[in-house]
Amino acid sequence: MEKSKPKLSNKPVAYNGAIVAIASVFAYSITVMIYSIIRSSITIYDVMPKEERSTILLASGFSFAYSVAVFSLLMAAISCIAGSIAAIILKKSLQYFNPQFNFKNAILISCVIALALLTVMYILLYAMLRDWMTSDYIETFLFWFVLPAVIFCAVCVIGGGKINRYLGRN
Amino acid sequence: MYRIKRFIKHTFIFYAFIALLYWIFIRPVHMNWGATAAEIKMKLPGDEHISLNRIVSTRAINIHAQKEKIWPWIAQTGQNRGGFNSYYWLENLFGAKMVNADIAHPDWQNPQPGDTVYYGKNEGYGLVSLAKPNEYYSLGGWTFYLQSSHAGNTRLIVRYPSMEVKQNKFNAIYYHGLFEPLHFIMESGMMMGIKQRAERDQPNGKE
Repeated sequence: MEKSKPKLSNKPVAYNGAIVAIASVFAYSITVMIYSIIRSSITIYDVMPKEERSTILLASGFSFAYSVAVFSLLMAAISCIAGSIAAIILKKSLQYFNPQFNFKNAILISCVIALALLTVMYILLYAMLRDWMTSDYIETFLFWFVLPAVIFCAVCVIGGGKINRYLGRN
Repeated sequence: MYRIKRFIKHTFIFYAFIALLYWIFIRPVHMNWGATAAEIKMKLPGDEHISLNRIVSTRAINIHAQKEKIWPWIAQTGQNRGGFNSYYWLENLFGAKMVNADIAHPDWQNPQPGDTVYYGKNEGYGLVSLAKPNEYYSLGGWTFYLQSSHAGNTRLIVRYPSMEVKQNKFNAIYYHGLFEPLHFIMESGMMMGIKQRAERDQPNGKE
């Protein structure tokens, strides 16, 4: 009698997708926090006299950290939904287009899925934001669009590889 | 997945710790950063626009320049003028399209009550409520007051009334959660930006 293969249900895939999305947002937020604190501290160091520097450095640094923390919690709540959906789409695509669970194919499929999802998300964002989506200010463009896109693609590719390995093993 | 979950847990604890430190130690300091007790209590022009439902901060900074050197940078405040002299890179993260002027522009030196001051491109705006050259400038209660001190130095005192938070829970969450710390960062950045520009024009100022 043939032993039936255990299936990878959508629920743990969605859950893990959400977890990875939250972790990505937190990692990104810590990077942004460090960058903002360093950049503002350089200005403070340049402008303020030595005896008045420490208070404003501390107050500014903690205010940045607190703002980023609150903002990242809000972003994490939104991103976990996107992460769950992306993980399920990845799993379904890998099952459909890569029935042999070949690793190279899985990476290629994950890349394509990541780019397709990004395109959809950016079309939606463009419809909502229009001229706010400007590349005139390099910091704005990098912060909102380029760096999140790089992280999203990297996470999709790594996640796709892991889902593929799991599917192949079972 | 275990390591990822552990990272999330540690980051969450770290953020909670930051929030705690911010509320206990930092917020009380930044609300009146640089201001003396007398300056905090001092009545400023524009105070009549501040209702009781608002949280008021008073901040001050020493500028090694006379009022006349500082005023031009205050007078041209606004995204539609000379910018806010603050962290333009942070303002532009939120689509403000801010450019800080590096010169005092002659066309913007005479703000009048009722003039529109944009906080960002096509965003919110305030109306100049009071303006007296070399003395004070107020945007609906957000007042920049210049006070001469010793040896040709000036105190720039800035009073900011929050939005109506005491009777509106949504406003209170938004204000305490995000707006207040960000406003402190931007306002202190603005005060330092004005100081930097005014002192740059002084014979012994920093370049």
